[in-house]
Amino acid sequence: MGKLMRWLGRTFGDKTKRCPEEEHCLELVRLMLDDESTQEDNDYVLKHIDGCYQCYDNYDVERAIREVVQKKGKNVKLPVEVVTEIRQKIEVAK
Amino acid sequence: MEEEQSTKPDRQKTELFEREFMPHLEALYNFAFKLTFNEDDAKDLLQDTSMKAYRFIHSFAQGTNAKAWLFRIMKNSFINDYRKKSKAPGMVDYQEVEAYYDSGKGTSPRDITVDLRAETVRDKLGDEVTLALNSLTVDFRTVIILCDLEGFKYDEMAKILDIPIGTVRSRLHRARNMLKAKLAAYAAQMGYK
Repeated sequence: MGKLMRWLGRTFGDKTKRCPEEEHCLELVRLMLDDESTQEDNDYVLKHIDGCYQCYDNYDVERAIREVVQKKGKNVKLPVEVVTEIRQKIEVAK
Repeated sequence: MEEEQSTKPDRQKTELFEREFMPHLEALYNFAFKLTFNEDDAKDLLQDTSMKAYRFIHSFAQGTNAKAWLFRIMKNSFINDYRKKSKAPGMVDYQEVEAYYDSGKGTSPRDITVDLRAETVRDKLGDEVTLALNSLTVDFRTVIILCDLEGFKYDEMAKILDIPIGTVRSRLHRARNMLKAKLAAYAAQMGYK
């Protein structure tokens, strides 16, 4: 029931209200998504975003941007001839 | 016999190179391309990095992170040899971006949160994210590439970039803010508020 109420509050509550902990929470969210945070910080963030619209949104956007960067980032194929050239240069350098 | 002894170290070096370094060439080439924005420069940078790695392979400690070792060589090669001559696109000055958003003229990254989650917008954002990332100065661009694309940990990034972990963390935080600011501007331009 508590969880449902928090979800309702987060979804239909006052979205213009700014979280006073937003900056700090955003830093922790980033550390968590980078897998660089402590368990204690993770627990704090997960509990906080469960009831905070602003910070939940930040968390979602951070995840979305990482997803797109990862999806679009690795789009340059290594030309096969470059690998051959490197092997040839190593042979010469021996 | 004498010939066999003299060639043995080379054979070992080559085997080590093939085993430890070759699997990372694709990632290195991607990194090179994102640093130089030019196919020929990226190829040259990759070849230089590979040859340096081969030449100094004796200083690579087996069992340690070969990918991080190679990325460090490439980063140093880029700074020393390529940074000046690389054909970089128009860079966005961090201070300028900050000043713009501080002035209240720009849309705050916080204001587009819901829209960035929408699938359709996310798809359209793909190319825009690439453009936004490419427009960051090389230091900011590099931390995002190393972290988000290559999956390096902060301590590995600190070694690759020769900076303290605290600097990695703060630079990454600033880089992410800049990226969001640019995407926010794009979303606002597309009519998403």
